[in-house]
Amino acid sequence: MSEVVIQTKDLTRVYKRDQFEVTALKDASIEIRKGEFVALMGPSGSGKSTLLYLIAAMERPTSGTIDVLGQDLRALSDKQVAQWRNIHVGFVFQSFNLIPVLTAIENVELPLLLTNLNAKERREHATTALSLVGLGDRLTHLPKQLSGGQEQRVAIARALVTDPDLILADEPTGNLDSQSAQDVLTMLRTLNQEHGKTVVMVTHDPHAASFASKARYLEKGALLPEGHVPQDWFVRPA
Amino acid sequence: MLRLLPLIFKNSLRSKRRSILTILSVTMSFTLLGVLFAMYNALYFEDPTPSQALRLITRNRISLTVILPASYKQKIKAVPGVQDLYISMWFGGTYKDQAQDQRNNFARFAVEPEDFFKVQKDLVLPEDQKQAFLKERTACLVGKRLADKLGIRLGERLVLKGDIFPGDKELMVRGIFEDPLADETLFFNIEYLYQSLPAGRRDFAGTFNILAKSKDDVSAIQRDVDEMFKNAPVQTRTETEAAFALSFVSFLGNVKVFLLVICGAVTFTILLVSANTMAMAVRERVREVGVMKTLGFTNGGILFLILGDAVVLSLVGAALGCLVASGLAAGVAANAGGFIAQFKNLSLTPPTVVFIFGFSVVVALISSFVPAMNAARTNILDTLKYSG
Ligand SMILES: Nc1ncnc2c1ncn2[C@@H]1O[C@H](COP(=O)(O)OP(=O)(O)O)[C@@H](O)[C@H]1O
Ligand SMILES: [Mg+2]
Repeated sequence: MSEVVIQTKDLTRVYKRDQFEVTALKDASIEIRKGEFVALMGPSGSGKSTLLYLIAAMERPTSGTIDVLGQDLRALSDKQVAQWRNIHVGFVFQSFNLIPVLTAIENVELPLLLTNLNAKERREHATTALSLVGLGDRLTHLPKQLSGGQEQRVAIARALVTDPDLILADEPTGNLDSQSAQDVLTMLRTLNQEHGKTVVMVTHDPHAASFASKARYLEKGALLPEGHVPQDWFVRPA
Repeated sequence: MLRLLPLIFKNSLRSKRRSILTILSVTMSFTLLGVLFAMYNALYFEDPTPSQALRLITRNRISLTVILPASYKQKIKAVPGVQDLYISMWFGGTYKDQAQDQRNNFARFAVEPEDFFKVQKDLVLPEDQKQAFLKERTACLVGKRLADKLGIRLGERLVLKGDIFPGDKELMVRGIFEDPLADETLFFNIEYLYQSLPAGRRDFAGTFNILAKSKDDVSAIQRDVDEMFKNAPVQTRTETEAAFALSFVSFLGNVKVFLLVICGAVTFTILLVSANTMAMAVRERVREVGVMKTLGFTNGGILFLILGDAVVLSLVGAALGCLVASGLAAGVAANAGGFIAQFKNLSLTPPTVVFIFGFSVVVALISSFVPAMNAARTNILDTLKYSG
């Protein structure tokens, strides 16, 4: 068995809004090994994104422990967390989130601005990443000149350009037509199988989940044991 | 950090309409500030020329518009340190259509010709023209810049209609002189003025223009002259020529306060305008801030980007403002230089330009700091969920 790259124990995240408290995630303990492709599934509001953001260190847990790539995330300062994320995590959003004033290649270069690479190396890396997602001929297009599927591929190129150990995706196909979704999922699987990236993907689409090597379900903020599915899952998929 | 600059420029250009409007309003503000700074600088910081530093002017203590007895001249002459002095009188009058054409509204003084030349040492005039002015009672001298502007030539006859003083003065142009401080002034013989007045009303002076023997004598003369007439029925006020020129300006109003108030108002306006546009720009970009943080940008990096955007817009505005202000300053110099000698060469000095650029950076930082800080500190998820 390969090494554990993500390990959480009793991970809890409570949001306070006015007087209300929402427990988005409660006592989640999960282990994800290097080279796995895990789909996080469950109805809307079940805490999938919360778990993913905690793994990406974009959120801080209310309680519990979280170790990612051998790093105790709670021990890092805000600044260290940002640097850590830049090096180790590639993140793909549902709504692409490209910077509208930057061209495809400039968007992909963005995370490289924080590295020691010089301009020429940055350009080379970004070009390679865009070729990898099949957009080698769209380098200077602005996001608005691309289709949704192409935008998401640029976003994937941006996520992998720093060669991170971990690719995290929050409903990456949620805004795409089925053909584009198919392309994006295939790409994630290639990254996982041929480039050895560990991938964690949030989705509530069973077809998307079928690309993963394993699915884990959440329900009302609780992570169900491996192999368990929410009771009414097939009746009312969110 | 330098590699973030292209990103800053791209951001500044993102919304062309916003950028152009911001730059225009900042440009206008800095244009105004530039001209005001130039004026302030010219009035209060410019050093007098070496010979100007030796000159003093004595006037009536009550006001510039009240005359002095001409007999004071001999008494002042006796004050230690006084080299020479001449009587000068502001002659208002009307030349041609000066109410319509401002160019015809220039400064005219009646002076004592011989002593005038002894005191005004900067004045450059051919010897034959000087002699002609000394000999002929109706002769006058015209500054070169004024002569060029109005096309006045040697030998020409000028008519000044009296207003303060009765009767017209017919003057022959006998000399065209150069003098950096009086280039747009006309001088004529005060004898000609006296002669036209009833015998009992001739013995007066507007001001006594004094030349000190050395720089060290200046402050003593200033003190001694006024001391001498302290208990006389008509008291005097003696100032250096530079200070006198200032009091002439303040005769037009409390210029210092006026300039400072306008500067303050303009600064406040720039602050409001840029604070508003920066708040708008940041709101537009909240989501991107979240994305960039996800990619690993730190709060400090984000702050730098947003402040940088404000600084770029402000610097462009300052640069344009300096350009326009230079043009305006040249215009002021051409039009007001005749009356307010300090404005004769009004321009934006390099220190003024440097100051305006520095000031624009400070204004940009102040106006964008709060929105930038808020954006930089917002939690990533809150920014990503922001549907703005
Ligand atoms: N920033 C937040 N502030 C308050 N409540 C939140 C916040 N983020 C998530 N929640 C709540 O936590 C719960 C889980 O949210 P989330 O993890 O986004 O669910 P999912 O991704 O499974 O749809 C929801 O009830 C949601 O309303
Ligand atoms: Mg979600």
